[in-house]
Amino acid sequence: MWRSRKSAEDVLKTGRFENVVLPHLSAAYNLARRLTRHSENAEDLVQEACMRAFKFFDGFHGNDARAWLLTIVRNTCYTWLQNAKVENCRTDYDEDTHSVEQDMATDLWRGDPEILLLRHADQELINRALDQLPVEFREVMVLRELEDFSYKEIAAIADIPLGTVMSRLARARKLLVEIVQRMKRDA
Amino acid sequence: MNCSEAQSLLSPHLDNELDLLRAVDLQQHLQTCPDCRRNAQQTKAARAAVREQATYFAAPDALRDKIMATLPAAKRTATTPAWFNASVAFALLVIVVWSVYSNLPITGSNDRVAEEIVSGHVRALMADHLTDVASSDRHTVKPWFNSKTDFSPPVIDLAVQGYPLIGGRLDYVSNRAAAALVYRHDRHVINLFIWPATANQSSDMNVLERNGYNIVHWANAGMEYWAVSDLNSMDLKKFSAMVMKPEDADAGPPTIPR
Repeated sequence: MWRSRKSAEDVLKTGRFENVVLPHLSAAYNLARRLTRHSENAEDLVQEACMRAFKFFDGFHGNDARAWLLTIVRNTCYTWLQNAKVENCRTDYDEDTHSVEQDMATDLWRGDPEILLLRHADQELINRALDQLPVEFREVMVLRELEDFSYKEIAAIADIPLGTVMSRLARARKLLVEIVQRMKRDA
Repeated sequence: MNCSEAQSLLSPHLDNELDLLRAVDLQQHLQTCPDCRRNAQQTKAARAAVREQATYFAAPDALRDKIMATLPAAKRTATTPAWFNASVAFALLVIVVWSVYSNLPITGSNDRVAEEIVSGHVRALMADHLTDVASSDRHTVKPWFNSKTDFSPPVIDLAVQGYPLIGGRLDYVSNRAAAALVYRHDRHVINLFIWPATANQSSDMNVLERNGYNIVHWANAGMEYWAVSDLNSMDLKKFSAMVMKPEDADAGPPTIPR
């Protein structure tokens, strides 16, 4: 008796999970794929994150399942990245010393050719450039440009202050220009 | 405002995250500073390049199946008695037969979709979440969908005809992702839902009414269209006709003689 009621609850929970959370599976996969830069690892991590999400699903009472799922996916990916040491999670760029003023002091940001370069950049080039961004910058970039989350939502998902979202996103865009420029030059 | 302040506000400005006061300050600074202006253009170009070009990796079907297989309800079927499987099979058969029959006449399944369309419309208005991408520029809205969906909805601009585009968002109708384009006419919001048709059939305009909302439905060029609004049915039909045949709409309303 107890068991059948339990399984009936499970069926309901699975049904709700399927309707509320799984529609965001592609967003989850895209984020994991971008953070790990590896399709199979991304699949495994999304599966792991979904198991975790299902476990804690009773505690989810918000109205943004996408943000909720992506928070779990993001944390699962970061844990994996740290353990696997696949990627040095600390960025090469010190956000305090490498200031905007310094960027401006270089002649990197002058002249219009970069803008033309970006306008004519193809999909493959942009994808490769994104992959070269340090993971923290790639993360805010994906959440903002591909998922269209607000700064406040990104701050909650990535667990960073609002000001950091702002500076990371600004830096990410600048770095992207720099990377595209370098790739074109080396090509 | 100095250059370093302006630099830090460029991205928030492009992302609509800046309050009006600082946005105005920034604009004024940009007008006087060519360096910052160039930076602004670069930031804008970087933003647009990623939005328009970066691949959005869709989850493989196998991943979904794998996840579903590990959830408790799905697991359970392996250990259920035979009579249960038989009754499930029978229930499925009933559902399949019913859905085939209900799909044959256009009304059966459309009734259900119409309900969903109205709920989608009301939900978007109530949750104050009309648009994921707010732009009156179809060249912004269309590429946004390209990164989100496996189809490319036609986005046309009807501002001249009195139906300005407000933006677009991703919705979920009839068990699939649908593009929702948001237009406005006077003070009425129109949601235009688009998704690929199951069969490549074309159908003429079909006008429905649900809970006080008017709905116009048609299919052409492999796409299904559902327009819903609290707008009167005449104007909604006019709008639908222009979406259906944009070349006719180009003629627009009579031009005002000078």
